[in-house]
Amino acid sequence: MSAVDTRVNLGGIALRNPVLTASGTFGYGGEFAPFFDLEQIGGIVAKSLTLEPRQGNLPPRIAETPAGMLNAIGLENVGVDAFIAEKLPALSAGVAVVASVFETEIDRYAEVCKRLTGAPKVVGLEINASCPHVKSGGIEFGQRAEVLAQLVRATRQATSLPLLVKLSPNVTDIREMAKVCEGEGADALSLVNTLQALDVDVATRRPVLRNVLGGLSGPAIRPVALRMVFQASRAVKLPICGIGGIMTAEDAVKFLICGASAVQVGTANYLNPMAALEVARGIAAYASAQGFARVADLVGSIELPR
Amino acid sequence: MNPTLPLRADARVAENRCEGGANHRLRLAIDGWPGARPGHFVMLSPGARGAAPRFDPLLPRPMAVYRTLPGAVPEIEVLYKATGRGTQLLAEARAGECVRVVGPLGVPFALPERGQRALLVGGGTGIASLYELASQARARGPVAVLLGARSAGDLMGADDFAALGVELRVATEDGSRGRRGLVTELLEAALAEPGPTAVVYACGPTPMMRRAGEIAAAHGARCEVSLENRMACGFGVCLGCAVPRADGTIALVCRDGPVFDAAAVGWANVP
Repeated sequence: MSAVDTRVNLGGIALRNPVLTASGTFGYGGEFAPFFDLEQIGGIVAKSLTLEPRQGNLPPRIAETPAGMLNAIGLENVGVDAFIAEKLPALSAGVAVVASVFETEIDRYAEVCKRLTGAPKVVGLEINASCPHVKSGGIEFGQRAEVLAQLVRATRQATSLPLLVKLSPNVTDIREMAKVCEGEGADALSLVNTLQALDVDVATRRPVLRNVLGGLSGPAIRPVALRMVFQASRAVKLPICGIGGIMTAEDAVKFLICGASAVQVGTANYLNPMAALEVARGIAAYASAQGFARVADLVGSIELPR
Repeated sequence: MNPTLPLRADARVAENRCEGGANHRLRLAIDGWPGARPGHFVMLSPGARGAAPRFDPLLPRPMAVYRTLPGAVPEIEVLYKATGRGTQLLAEARAGECVRVVGPLGVPFALPERGQRALLVGGGTGIASLYELASQARARGPVAVLLGARSAGDLMGADDFAALGVELRVATEDGSRGRRGLVTELLEAALAEPGPTAVVYACGPTPMMRRAGEIAAAHGARCEVSLENRMACGFGVCLGCAVPRADGTIALVCRDGPVFDAAAVGWANVP
């Protein structure tokens, strides 16, 4: 295999290869130390952080669905201060960390961003816009253009770090939300978060999750995610990080072809703790086999019917 | 904490056989298996991994390590009931095929103090968590294994426990083997007997473990339980296997357990 240049740039974040891990599926990174060296992937997106530690929902929190899973974990996390004080130092110096930010009020989002700016190893922030906005009656921040605009504006002002916005797929037109982010100064988009979903146990007639509704992830959502990445990449100039059911390198390559500059491996980490590493290696092998000198040349290389 | 680092491996199926009804015994050869302590578990892919990747069903299944068989390539045994889609696919795995394993995982049982009497209470597939514990507790004091099942045909592993030379008592709900009734009634009776300080270990259905904890507490005995829960990863990142503690905080079965002190579990909200 000839040496392929695997480096990509994601909105100002220079990555050694295009594979990150999706927030909420990779803990704070250290959990994967027994399985592989995190410096061999592009970087990690850590579990979403709130201002204070949060405990999350009562069980059941997850359920398996056809080629996928539902989750409603709640906001469980150690809080931004413990992340900086305890979790970041536990990672080796060469690990690129994108910190994910999750809150219920815009000023709290901004405060978390401020605290993370300048923390060692943190190369960028990802704003999780799928949190229910209390003041809007629980609708996700990313579901209403004017609320999303306020969120991106406030977090943009709060940090000098590259700012990624992780959009909710639970919208009528993803292009509209992508344009809002571009207009407010985001550096990149992460597409997509989980799809709102529900499953019911017929023996008990109860929802399978204590929270009733959950987020669907896994291969079941991949074609939907791919479609949204494709649409958004044609609507805005921002680089896109593709997310949604990536299990193998072939899946990841599809996102690159459809316009993603990088990808995040999520649910796959659960069933295969070495999935992100295998995807990173497999992308390079694909590029080499297809005669691409640079992985970046794959981005947006889709051949559309004339 | 778990001092043994888990590995991810493609294990070779050495043997996979039905032991009557839904009961199955799977023996896996795992290169580099670091060994397991009593109470450790593994995550197993739902069925053999074929030539092409398959992602439905998606998630691995948590299974207790029933016992470890040392050798040039170490083997582990797993007992399971083929009751759902994942376990039915696992039952179809043939010798020579590969099953994905992540493990050993979790916090193991604390062995009894020297001279203590160990009372092991197993129900259903929960029995699978107790074999290595019974084996290792023998060196520390008397061991009695109390097994419960709906009927004789549902009982798993009884012959293995008998072969260990530990005292074995059986209860079935229909009376087809041993005493008619619940295994927790055997525990009541055993704790009422005179003898050294007892420590109770229970693994099985949630109501059984909860009751075992209550009975042990009433007799002033410590009780450890090994909890089950839905779990996507097994190593503390999906946060799916949350259980409430008695103090209202949340624990993860995979990382903080699966073994817990029965008195520390917030039973009312354990699913």
